[in-house]
Amino acid sequence: MDKAYQAGDLSRISNYLPDRIKRVVDRISPEMALCLEELRINAGIPLVGVFSGLDCFIAEDGSFTDKPETAFHAGREEVEELFYRLCEHSVYAYQEDIARGFLTLKGGCRAGICGRVVYQGQTIKGLKDISSVCIRVSRELKGCAEEVFPFIRSGRHDICNTMVISPPRCGKTTILRDLCRIISTGSRKADFAGLRTVIVDERSEIAACYRGVAQNDCGPRTDVLDGCRKPEGIEMALRGMSPAVIVVDELGSRQDAESVRMAWNAGARIIATAHAYDISDLRERLGFGMLIGKGGFERYVVLGIRDGKRWIKVTDAYGNQLYHNNQTPGMPYGILRMLSHGDDAVCEAESQAACVPEA
Amino acid sequence: MGMMLSARLKARQLAFRKLKDILLFLENEMCALGKPLNKVFEDLAKGNYGGVWTPVFHRSGSILKEQSLDAGSAWRIALEEAAAALPLACEDLDLLKDFGELLGKSDREMQQAVLNMEKEKLSAMEQKAKEAAETTGRLYRNLGALLGAAMVILLI
Repeated sequence: MDKAYQAGDLSRISNYLPDRIKRVVDRISPEMALCLEELRINAGIPLVGVFSGLDCFIAEDGSFTDKPETAFHAGREEVEELFYRLCEHSVYAYQEDIARGFLTLKGGCRAGICGRVVYQGQTIKGLKDISSVCIRVSRELKGCAEEVFPFIRSGRHDICNTMVISPPRCGKTTILRDLCRIISTGSRKADFAGLRTVIVDERSEIAACYRGVAQNDCGPRTDVLDGCRKPEGIEMALRGMSPAVIVVDELGSRQDAESVRMAWNAGARIIATAHAYDISDLRERLGFGMLIGKGGFERYVVLGIRDGKRWIKVTDAYGNQLYHNNQTPGMPYGILRMLSHGDDAVCEAESQAACVPEA
Repeated sequence: MGMMLSARLKARQLAFRKLKDILLFLENEMCALGKPLNKVFEDLAKGNYGGVWTPVFHRSGSILKEQSLDAGSAWRIALEEAAAALPLACEDLDLLKDFGELLGKSDREMQQAVLNMEKEKLSAMEQKAKEAAETTGRLYRNLGALLGAAMVILLI
């Protein structure tokens, strides 16, 4: 896969960090900084970085340590300040996002927030006494779906209903985003004209909208319903936007499955993802039976990791394999060197990793 | 001279009234539309809705955006910088320094309560300014007229 890796990712988050934490993060070597997937900042607990799926404590000089006592510790005030900075000092403007437990930042990164939950009746009103923040660095891998796209197109002006499935953190959303971009833009290479596309982005992960502007490239014919639940979103899109294709992430409930059926009845194509190890795993899930088999999804893009190697395959509705590709381990050299004490650790880290760019 | 001093007292009263009007704008933009503070301040300055307060909100907005300070600190800095150009007395500035302190730190419901509290505070300040403009203003005007007349008599 062609991995268009974005350099300088850390600059997108470092501007939000309080001075002391910023200094530590700025000291992380550039090679390691490129592999940073998450930064976990917890009041009174060591600063943790997740590098290519591997958790490491970060010391004050930006180096890694396996001893928590030598790691950098953020204070309660710093975590609170970080929270206010993430909210642009306007908590009220983000109160719905806070109640959902995360904020979408400029540049497409996400910050998960933990603290004391405040209820109003049965619904979560917000969070107070913020205790920890987990900043997830988003990475847009443009072109990562180009190899699979020819297998899901159906002529110059149509595509097959497609489901992307994999266990967590194997890159479903990354593939979905790129498929959306290609479908919306069109592809000369695949002889495909672009189609009107609507993304129902319930968790703001696909387009990562910040103040209404998509932070990821989802194509020129794409409209985004941000923060909208899938059943309502699909209905709204069908009513108002006349999409040729609807893109949704993480189908999971019976209502989701019924909405997909509704979209098919209205003539729209669906590109979706779901957590599953394979198609048979998916079939057993509540409500998914009606989406699989005859009259259901026509293509399945299955992602996985085995022995530290990523693989991707495309099958049709009958399980016939149309495409298969084993990829390189993708573990950056810096992480490999850091874990030189054993391959097991590397494989373990790799098995947890989200989409990792090649070194 | 007397007329100028009297006009300044009137401008002081109008400045408080303007700030009260601005609170309504803030309430709408923050509590109804949910816009972040820097954007609200920016829009307020751009729309020239702020009158004498335009430079203060413009500066506060840019501080919030560029320096990642909270609204309280941004407001204090902006107010100090613009103090000379505002028709306010030192005690007014002291009372207004805390204006931004609670802005942006809670949900919409609480922000509404904060803005209502500020509105009441400003109403009281406006009332005092009005009384001052009427009594002290009249005094300045009369004194000015008397001094002017005395100067004319001396010159003749």
